Amino acid sequence: MKKSILLITLLSMCFHIPCLARGDVSVTLKLDRPEATLLDSITLVVSVSGTRKSDATPVLKGLDDFEVRAGGTSSRIEIINGKVNAGVDYTYTLKPKKAGNFAIGPAEVTVKGKTIKSNTKTLRIVKAVQSGEVDRGPLFLSATLSPKQIFVEAQALYTLKLFRQTRVGDISLGLPEAEHLTFKQLGKPIEYQSVYKGESYQVLEVRYALISSKEGLYGIRPSRMSMTVFRSRRKSPRSLFDDPFFSFSSGQPVTIASEPLELNVLPLPQKGRPTDFSGLVGSFKIKAHLEPTKIKAGGSATLTVLLSGRGNVKRIPDLKLPELEKIKVYADQPVLTEETDARGLAGSKTMKWALVPEKEGEYRIPSLSISFFDIESKQYRVLKSPDLSMSVLPVENAQTQISPEVLKGQKSEGSRKQEVKELGQDILPVHTSIKDLHPGARPDIGGMVFWAILIIPFFAYAVTFFIQKFHRKTTVSVAAARARRAAKILIQECHKEELSSNHLTSAIRRYLNERFNLSLGSLTPDEAADILGSRGVSGKTSERLRRTLQELEDAIYTGKGQELCDMGGDIPELIKQIEKEIR
Amino acid sequence: MRRYSYLAISIITIIFFSGPDTQAQPNGWEALFFRANEAFKGGHYQDAIDGYEQLIQNGYENGHIYYNLGNGYFRLNQLGKAILNYERARILIPRDADLNFNLRLARDQIQDAIAEPQGFIQMAFFWLDALSLQEVFWGFGIFNVLFWGLLFIRLFQHSEWSYYLSFVFLVLFLISGTSFGLKWYQVRTESRAVILENEVNILSGPDIQDTVLFKLHEGSIVHQERSEDGWVLIHLPDKKRGWVEAESVEPIKRGPAVLPVGVQN
Repeated sequence: MKKSILLITLLSMCFHIPCLARGDVSVTLKLDRPEATLLDSITLVVSVSGTRKSDATPVLKGLDDFEVRAGGTSSRIEIINGKVNAGVDYTYTLKPKKAGNFAIGPAEVTVKGKTIKSNTKTLRIVKAVQSGEVDRGPLFLSATLSPKQIFVEAQALYTLKLFRQTRVGDISLGLPEAEHLTFKQLGKPIEYQSVYKGESYQVLEVRYALISSKEGLYGIRPSRMSMTVFRSRRKSPRSLFDDPFFSFSSGQPVTIASEPLELNVLPLPQKGRPTDFSGLVGSFKIKAHLEPTKIKAGGSATLTVLLSGRGNVKRIPDLKLPELEKIKVYADQPVLTEETDARGLAGSKTMKWALVPEKEGEYRIPSLSISFFDIESKQYRVLKSPDLSMSVLPVENAQTQISPEVLKGQKSEGSRKQEVKELGQDILPVHTSIKDLHPGARPDIGGMVFWAILIIPFFAYAVTFFIQKFHRKTTVSVAAARARRAAKILIQECHKEELSSNHLTSAIRRYLNERFNLSLGSLTPDEAADILGSRGVSGKTSERLRRTLQELEDAIYTGKGQELCDMGGDIPELIKQIEKEIR
Repeated sequence: MRRYSYLAISIITIIFFSGPDTQAQPNGWEALFFRANEAFKGGHYQDAIDGYEQLIQNGYENGHIYYNLGNGYFRLNQLGKAILNYERARILIPRDADLNFNLRLARDQIQDAIAEPQGFIQMAFFWLDALSLQEVFWGFGIFNVLFWGLLFIRLFQHSEWSYYLSFVFLVLFLISGTSFGLKWYQVRTESRAVILENEVNILSGPDIQDTVLFKLHEGSIVHQERSEDGWVLIHLPDKKRGWVEAESVEPIKRGPAVLPVGVQN
């Protein structure tokens, strides 16, 4: 459902575009170039914006000295940033009848009974100068330079024309290279019809601004243009299939060269050169305006200076506004715009300053000046912006000037919040508290406190950790030493002569108590075997000890405790086995 | 156990009570500070600047004095020196509202549009710009004590809460440690410098005859690479490079000040 509504809306928009756009109809007249020869054709386009229909074709004025041929009509619809713009273009081809300067236009278009006029354009027609007697064939490249003598940093017009009577494609251009010379293309290449030595040609023209940064006589080598030339294999003059797309015509790569030229670059004269010469060469003008010219103290006015012209606009310097008494000046970032047209490089630089007067009074804004070399008059000139003045009212007076209507309006809208406006700009005051002199303890990075804070926690942890570990290790080693001592004593006891069962029993019990740090008075054979078992001693060894103790106990309990016993030889080997197996 | 507790208490006591002695200041410096402030209020900006410079030369190198010094230069329309001292103050007191306001105002008056691009580290450790080296250090110091302190406790008590808390402290310890390392590196390798003259030519070599590559204006911040025979090689964030006369540019990072007796920096 939603999709259907959207589709209907779009369709209705498309159908109603002419109606929607009709409200703002305008007509523009355009020429493909401002200058041509008597043998060239010129393309004129009348663009009607805001409608796709007019009551009749445009009426063209100022074309009495031209043959006019209609070249067709094309309508267009543009949607830019959501704004629909419909229009129609009428194209005409002009053929000049005589040389001279002509004002072309205006074109008059009638839409719904209302006549709308276009702008006018100036067209210069010159006599064709075609030097050389030789017929240059169906394809050749021509280069011209105008003027042939310029000043440093000024621009000459370098025009390349490809004359062709055959179909060509894949065109590429190689411009000559020379030190201190710069080529800058002026606009897009244009195509038109022309006549050379009585033959009709299709001409492709491309223009360059040629600028030299150093004086001298420059030889400009030929420009080279490479392309693919298509020649028909068929004899028939034109055919649907005589097109490279259908491969019935064969392409042949061809490179052609223009004639070499010379450019004489003169140095800028020393005579009359201002000390603060900016380096600008060309023709320039300056405009300045201040807005508003009447403000309150603490308010802000904008001074705009526009320096525009034709020439080396990139060298337009940022103008400096001198210090103004009781006025604070805030400079904006200058904006440089560069343009190119058929006549060369042009552009402008816009510089803005915010002026904030501190007190009331009448202020004079001094003019700004800049010097440049004028190529028309061939002398240096100084441009000066007009003097401007500003009335600054006291804040109290300004308040009293508010009209009662405005005050009334403000009252009625009392609840509405207003945006806080910045009236001036200034820094905040110095810090004066004595605390600011001693901002508190700061550890010196790399100093003792710094390292103490970084290392001591880790160090404390590490020391404690190792102490704890060492303590554990010591406890274990004390037990081991005690065990070794106990075993040693028992083995020494066993090696004594005249050993009785009583003696051996108490020696083994002493060993077990010492070895395992026990406080038991007397261990039974089973308890002794259990203890060994719990300490990792194998069952076999534990059983051997149990049996040995049992035999000794049996001897004691049968009244043979004081008699000599022959078991002393086996016990050391048993103890060694126990020590080996114990965990 | 008791022995270890005494050891821990002693360490903590040493850490927290062994700060620098800031009480032993000669009263003369306070009087000089007061006089400089009065000179500023009276509109004698050069006298105020002299006073603040003297304090800095004698070891009172803190953000507030640099801020006041920047204000003095601003009033004398020396934008380059004003920005230089505001930037120096910003290293020490980066969140001071007055300083940031004045610095923004001063930066608005710079003619050259030089944008400092933000790298990955600046975005990931976004808090570094708003903290001074000292503050980052204290943050790291606190987490350092907490982390190792908790491990210390765990030597004697293996409780579950201390196990999880030790992971939290480990993360904070690593973040604060990395922050401190980055900030320390940032401060140590500070290469920014401020153009002090109204307009300077940036040349292709350290010679007045060399080609002018571009121009810079007062207050613009550049990066200093090296110096040679009274010339300094600088570059801009967009990789433009060139040489400028040493007196036209001053580094934001200044050498260590001479400390008066009884004053710790």
